Amino acid sequence: MAEPRTIVIDPVTRIEGHSKITLHLDEHGKVEDARFHVTQFRGFEKFCEGRPFSEMPSLMARICGICPVSHLIASAKACDALLAVKIPPTAEKLRRIINIAQVAQSHALSLFHLSCPDLLLGMDSDPAESNLFGVIAKNPQLARDGIALRKFGQQIIERLGGKRIHPAWVVPGGVSEPLSPEDRDAILKTVPEALAIAMRSLEWLKSVTDKFREEVSVFGNFPSLFMSIVKRDGGLTFYDGEIRFVDETGEKVASQLDPARYFEYLGEKVEPWSYLKSAYYLPRGFPDGIYRVGPLARLNVCSQCGTPLADQALSEFRERQPNAVVSSFYYHQARLVEILYCVERIEQLLNDPEILSKHVRAIANPNALEGVGAAEAPRGTLFHHYKIDEHGLIKWVNLIIATGQNNLAMNRSVLQVAQHYVSGDKLTRGMLNRVEAVIRAYDPCLSCSTHALGQMALKLQLIGPDGAVVDEICRP
Amino acid sequence: MRFVGLEAKEPMTPRILIIAYGNPLCSDDGIAWHAADLLRERFSPDKAEIICVHQLIPELAESVSQAQGAIFLDAGQIGVPGEICQARVAQGTEVLFGTHMLTPAQLMTLSHVLYGNSPNAYEVSVTGESFAHGEQLSRKVKSALPQLIEVIDRIAQQICGTQPCSRTGIV
Repeated sequence: MAEPRTIVIDPVTRIEGHSKITLHLDEHGKVEDARFHVTQFRGFEKFCEGRPFSEMPSLMARICGICPVSHLIASAKACDALLAVKIPPTAEKLRRIINIAQVAQSHALSLFHLSCPDLLLGMDSDPAESNLFGVIAKNPQLARDGIALRKFGQQIIERLGGKRIHPAWVVPGGVSEPLSPEDRDAILKTVPEALAIAMRSLEWLKSVTDKFREEVSVFGNFPSLFMSIVKRDGGLTFYDGEIRFVDETGEKVASQLDPARYFEYLGEKVEPWSYLKSAYYLPRGFPDGIYRVGPLARLNVCSQCGTPLADQALSEFRERQPNAVVSSFYYHQARLVEILYCVERIEQLLNDPEILSKHVRAIANPNALEGVGAAEAPRGTLFHHYKIDEHGLIKWVNLIIATGQNNLAMNRSVLQVAQHYVSGDKLTRGMLNRVEAVIRAYDPCLSCSTHALGQMALKLQLIGPDGAVVDEICRP
Repeated sequence: MRFVGLEAKEPMTPRILIIAYGNPLCSDDGIAWHAADLLRERFSPDKAEIICVHQLIPELAESVSQAQGAIFLDAGQIGVPGEICQARVAQGTEVLFGTHMLTPAQLMTLSHVLYGNSPNAYEVSVTGESFAHGEQLSRKVKSALPQLIEVIDRIAQQICGTQPCSRTGIV
């Protein structure tokens, strides 16, 4: 009888950060377990201790080069709680704009740059062509559209925040500068093209998704909870509201939860084989409290988007599966629905009569020693929780990041895909790419600081129980 | 690999695009950003668009395609500190690339295949001495700034056709 073996995919490519996947085979060569390991360690929660709280938004933005604005927003909201102020209405609207501009550009990166090669060229395509140039060769308009949508979001961030990456414009108490009429008009001019691109991209994606029925059926297609922030009326929001959980039938499991009391309903478990903690819904325990966050979850949790085109797209999205849409393959479509919402909502907010008000910041000293800020980031709900001393110096930090909240689901998804496609007897690039592709569907952001996309080797190893490499293939 | 359906979308803007890139928090790696401040005093906005970025990304391709000429300004790691090198940029042949960082040649390729135009382009670098954390330039690199501005001015004139011949190599 053959010995149990392990398959290692290291590193996982076309994601934001560093990770590897190990597939554990039984003696018959069938996948019996799968693990998604996050192999990098950042340490932000520790090295912020002792810093003035007012530095936190700028420090926290450095967590990520793709979604710094989400960390800015959550951090600034935590600092607002420390100041115990209500920020000016215009400041809140401007924060909403910059936040969803970032959602749009981040979603565009994930869909067009990272996952489009799979969706356009196929899961079995040559890895040498599975990149943006491969997309350009097959469908240049799609590539241009992806770049244009990303640029749309980035230029808004740059106009509001002063720069595309790590803008310091979102500050405790509001924002540092009001919006100028010139910038408002310039952004509004870009809205029609962005809307048109989002609409035709959605039509394209809906058409190609039908070619991936097998993948839809095994890419994280299982019951779980879904969590997001929603407005009080259940509408989609990325900035403020209540926490709601729904299950795979679409039924509410919990609602009207206070984001600031997240520790009463969210638990985190540390696994010895990964630096990424696994969050779970406390009342159901670990691992039964598995839940998903991000675009798929938000569209399952919300009752409506609140903008006309996105609401129409949401209706079509919900026809994909009965009750809740549970296959993680549909994260891609959910991203485009959200891009549509973001563009429409940005236009609404920019046309708000108050948007050019000069009153954009509330000034105060700390009035509380503890504060929580929560917001919806591109990949899901983000919590920042700070405690300070009487001098305003940070004593303790806890961050609950979206990718950690999807960790249980990502692991289960990898197992589901691997059990369907991978056999220890024969290894193909297509099956390996599918194992990676299900991770890409979640768009995990493990940190964007150092990775060189497309230049990373992908190595698959079969390792025997004695540690010897039984078989190996490499992607150049 | 074959690229199809490629036509310039809009007429070219008769301007030079100067892309200054590097990390201004890593001492001499930020030379391009320092130079950009001086170049804004030299060139009016109707003559040159000056962009400061940490790295070259695909979103810059459309702007490159619309320029009459492009100048990529960066810090170099090879050579004598303060040394200025210039070279013409040809379209890249390397198709594997990431979404976070491109070379000037790859960006020129994207400009061509996506937007149907890749203008004359030059790469200018100043060899750095220190890439440690910090916002200050080393003495040797800082002293190269005036000459760097003149080099870029000359290249801009070459691109605009007011000065003949281009040079490649150490200045």
